[in-house]
Amino acid sequence: MKLHLKNKIFRILCLPLLFISCSSDLDFNQVDDFKLEPIFVGNLVYFDVPANQFFDDGAEQAIAFDAQEFDVFKNKFFKDNLVKAEFNFEITNTINRPFTISLILLDNNDQQLQTLRYEAPAYSGTTTVLQFNEIFQNERLDLLKQTTKLAFLINLKAGPPLNENTTGTLKLRSSATAYTEIK
Amino acid sequence: MKSIALILSLLAGFCCFSQNKQLLYNFTEVPQSLLVNPGADVAYKYYFGIPLLSGISANVGSNSFSAYDLFANNGVDFNDKLRNVIEKSSNKDKTYINQQLELFSGGFRVGGANSQSYVSFGVYQEFDFLMYFPKDVAILAIDGNQNYIGKSFNLADLNLKAEVLSVFHVGFHKKINKKVVLGGRAKIYSSGANATSTKNSGFIFTGQSNTSPNIYNQIIDSNLELRTSGISKFNKDEYDGSIPKDLLHNTFFAGSLGLGLDAGITYYIQENWQFTASIIDLGFIKQSKDIETFTYKGRYQYDGVQPNFSSIDEPENIFDEFEKAIPRDTLYNKYTTNRPTKFNASIQYSFKEYRSDQDCNCKSQETRKYRNAVGAQLFAMTTQKEPLVAFTAFYKRSVFEKLDFKTTYTFDTFSNTNIGLGLSGTLGKFNIYALVDNVLEFKDVSKANSMAFQFGLNFVFQDPEE
Repeated sequence: MKLHLKNKIFRILCLPLLFISCSSDLDFNQVDDFKLEPIFVGNLVYFDVPANQFFDDGAEQAIAFDAQEFDVFKNKFFKDNLVKAEFNFEITNTINRPFTISLILLDNNDQQLQTLRYEAPAYSGTTTVLQFNEIFQNERLDLLKQTTKLAFLINLKAGPPLNENTTGTLKLRSSATAYTEIK
Repeated sequence: MKSIALILSLLAGFCCFSQNKQLLYNFTEVPQSLLVNPGADVAYKYYFGIPLLSGISANVGSNSFSAYDLFANNGVDFNDKLRNVIEKSSNKDKTYINQQLELFSGGFRVGGANSQSYVSFGVYQEFDFLMYFPKDVAILAIDGNQNYIGKSFNLADLNLKAEVLSVFHVGFHKKINKKVVLGGRAKIYSSGANATSTKNSGFIFTGQSNTSPNIYNQIIDSNLELRTSGISKFNKDEYDGSIPKDLLHNTFFAGSLGLGLDAGITYYIQENWQFTASIIDLGFIKQSKDIETFTYKGRYQYDGVQPNFSSIDEPENIFDEFEKAIPRDTLYNKYTTNRPTKFNASIQYSFKEYRSDQDCNCKSQETRKYRNAVGAQLFAMTTQKEPLVAFTAFYKRSVFEKLDFKTTYTFDTFSNTNIGLGLSGTLGKFNIYALVDNVLEFKDVSKANSMAFQFGLNFVFQDPEE
């Protein structure tokens, strides 16, 4: 009797150990398909130049120039994962003279990679916001990724003479949209 | 990558909840129940656990996803599944892993044959991991900020801690009279590795307004800190040892030390009404070995490139500016971590006096033994955020004199249909117990959010029956 009972106890105790459960079909190789495609937006370039900056020492300044470092692609994340980029520019000219704005992408050796050129017509009484859009893919994207400096060149074009009291500004606002793919 | 996924999903598959050992709690036929209540009414002449096999437990829980959600072989794209998991998760969801392995344990009665004072002791190893789901950071990683203009991504969502430690403990409990059992346990912790990042704050914000001159108003405000102990040397290039071996050595022999205390009580309101309560791991560890703390603290406003045509200026460098504003600092200060403290309580009503099947039950027993018991238990555990709380209803039955069965129904943040089954049997001096949580999920473990098991073998010696 006692032995029989012990056997019974043992069998019952073994039950949970033999508890075999079921599981749905799982496929862990799916991890290989892992891919994130986040899209980031950010400021790109901003300036707002008053008209009197084009008038210095009693004379018109036909050219304004500045160069800035652009080290985004020193960052490995963007260099490796950027698959497409889009630049959006908004130019507002409230000076009664037309301008040409050039954005020059330079590499490490100051070699010109690409030039983006926009015309801003003279102000005629109504404020207009001009919009320009650049898309970088494939070869153009590769050139963008080599960019380490941005140079800005503003050319003052012919029109009514400027003086210290000329009103208005030449404004540029821009944003970048970075399409990334992380595997 | 595949193996990591496999491990993660196995863990997720074997999900079970936290350190709520609702089956073991007050299951006094198992000596290890003293680890969840040092004042449990456990009696023995002496006992010892079979080394490495006396107490094995693993608990994994995640209340936001199961292995099935991520890895089901159902033709749905993996990235869509990942997105679904992120979308349905919140920053209150947590993934919890707790594993314990008893290296050895034992106990003996002190005093004469009539004494009811007991000593118990042992060493166990423990691994603890608790991470809150970093919802905002996950959204930023999967979608970017393009469609979230005006949203502040909260960096406080990054919240995790992990620890490997060994615990050496000695406990004492005494049945003071027929009504009261009191017990306490002292613990020495030795932490082999710790990572704590629980006090983060800050945000990543992209806003747009017509009044700001630039197109976007972009701010990163960061107050991030990750404290580690016992880990930094593994990250060094010159390290060429074996991580598991070194980690094991540190955990048992060269860890950061800490102290802790357990306390518990069993009180018989009446012979068949019993109340118990315990507090476990009221303690701290002074993290002092191989410390490395990383911080990213600062504020950075990103305005893009701003050429200056009026004067000659130093060209600005965006990434340099960023690194200057939010520098990565490494500190080497010791720090103190609190152990997750657990609180248990139960009320139990026993009924139907036990009658032995055996031929001879001639000796009149001093205390009556009941065949059935029902009751309720409460569990709470401190975490980085609000405490975890679980409520359990249970039924216990002596199937035979030396075979006890307990079933539990538990509500907690991981599940409200958690049914557990536990058995403890004694063959001669040999005690074996197996406790399994969340048995309903066994019909498809891959869909389980939480499951736990505990298992162990002991030799328990009682006074010989006269």
